[in-house]
Amino acid sequence: MKRLSISERLGKVAYRNQGRADVRAHIEVDTSICNGTCPHKCTTYVCPANCYTLSEAGTVQFQFEDCIECGTCLYACDQGAVVWRYPDPEQGRGVNWNLG
Amino acid sequence: MEEKFDCIIVGGGIAGLSAAMTLARADRRFLLIERGEFCGAKNVSGGVLWGSDLQRLVPDYWQRDHGFERFVSHRRLTFMDGGAAFSVDFKSDHYRTPPYSGVIVLRARFDEWLAARVQEAIDVSAAADESFLATNVLVDRLLVEDGRTIGIQAGDEQFFADCVLVCEGVNNLLTRQAGIEPEYVPADHVAVGVKEVIRLDRVVLEDRFQLSGDSGFTNEIVGYATRGVEGGGFVYTNRDSLSVGLVLGMADLRDKGLKPYDVLSDFKEHAYVADMIRGGDVLEYSAHVVSTGDVAAVPERLYGDGLLIAGEAAHLLLNAGRAIQGMDYAMRSGILAAETVVAAASGGDFGASNLSGYQQRLDESFVMQDMRRFQDAVHVLHSPTMYSKMPRVLCDFGRDFFTVRSEPTTKATASFRRAAKKHVGLWELVKLGVRAARSL
Repeated sequence: MKRLSISERLGKVAYRNQGRADVRAHIEVDTSICNGTCPHKCTTYVCPANCYTLSEAGTVQFQFEDCIECGTCLYACDQGAVVWRYPDPEQGRGVNWNLG
Repeated sequence: MEEKFDCIIVGGGIAGLSAAMTLARADRRFLLIERGEFCGAKNVSGGVLWGSDLQRLVPDYWQRDHGFERFVSHRRLTFMDGGAAFSVDFKSDHYRTPPYSGVIVLRARFDEWLAARVQEAIDVSAAADESFLATNVLVDRLLVEDGRTIGIQAGDEQFFADCVLVCEGVNNLLTRQAGIEPEYVPADHVAVGVKEVIRLDRVVLEDRFQLSGDSGFTNEIVGYATRGVEGGGFVYTNRDSLSVGLVLGMADLRDKGLKPYDVLSDFKEHAYVADMIRGGDVLEYSAHVVSTGDVAAVPERLYGDGLLIAGEAAHLLLNAGRAIQGMDYAMRSGILAAETVVAAASGGDFGASNLSGYQQRLDESFVMQDMRRFQDAVHVLHSPTMYSKMPRVLCDFGRDFFTVRSEPTTKATASFRRAAKKHVGLWELVKLGVRAARSL
């Protein structure tokens, strides 16, 4: 079987409110902590949806649109940079599993 | 103030729905709130629902249009290194008679099915017009007055009840708001589960796994599967697909700097797994945090004034080597919490001391008895010797023992000793063996 990239995998996830332009973020990340004092920047590799990425300059960037609400960053970030909430059913993003 | 419910249940997963079924049967008035579009829409598990409690909730669950994928009729535990797989395999006729001892589920389907059975129970209860399953509603916070939980806030709306039963799952924000757990919970007692559901033609699947009708196969795998990260892998057969995934200790994954989906890709490329999934199409990729079954992670107190916590919100889960049990723990804890609510309602006392009966029932049940009894097994499983070195010893031994060469053959004890010495050291292996044997 062909090796799937993370974007191919996320292409198989059904998300809520995909057509909505003004969708509200459910997770807030204080990237000044990630890029200032964090010794490991672990979210950039432990996040199963690759929501945390490293730029070419090595700084942490976050986007919530691909988030599958797994909770990994809620536990993995030990630097206090992540404020984690569930997405609003109407105005937020988040998953809508077909199989689960 | 609006009419009060006897109970508000937060979360339409297995704990919440099991509680709801119990309350409906007792004619209590309750509101179950689920944030997903339907019950199951936000839920992920491996997943096998073990045990016999499902029959208590839905006595004929295997009949009609059943909610599970397949019942477990064939089990395998596999120790894997880079090139081999050494398995303990068990298939038995006794598994084939309902009620089954385990059913394989896909949660978006199973939870929705269970919710439909709960709705049927509501419809015939004395509180048919006063109990509701509300989906698409997010609970923002608990409403607390003088230390007593009196209801919930959801957007602009407030709902009130004599007590709130929190079944929100492992990402337990309300449990933290209530002070049952600290605001920040470290990664030590949780893992990351990643999974793919891979479609196969039903006939191909049944031929490949030697299944018939609704019978199913479960395989847990330790060793190379996780590329040295604490944890293990699994393959479960659904109706016309496979659930293939890994559970990776979060702290260890963080230390080793690996991406969970890369480890999953490597796992799928191991010949043992590749042969199982050949020709399949990935239907869905999913991930979720899962508790690791350390009893230290279970909060000291699972109740308060007007408050109860059940399921994985309370980190109720056990993997002691025999089976990964979480959904059955959710089911039993949900039932026990609801029974406590029913008892409290008859006396009208929802204070903490009265609701503490839930914790007592849970303590006496198989859930906490097993969690306590098998803690040593949990720790053995989570030791690097077990998840990393043991599989290499067994595969080395297997390569020797199961290979016939046209030359003088080494005796089994000698080849085992050689394999053990190479990876672990004999003394360490003996110690681990004794500890493992005692712990199980």
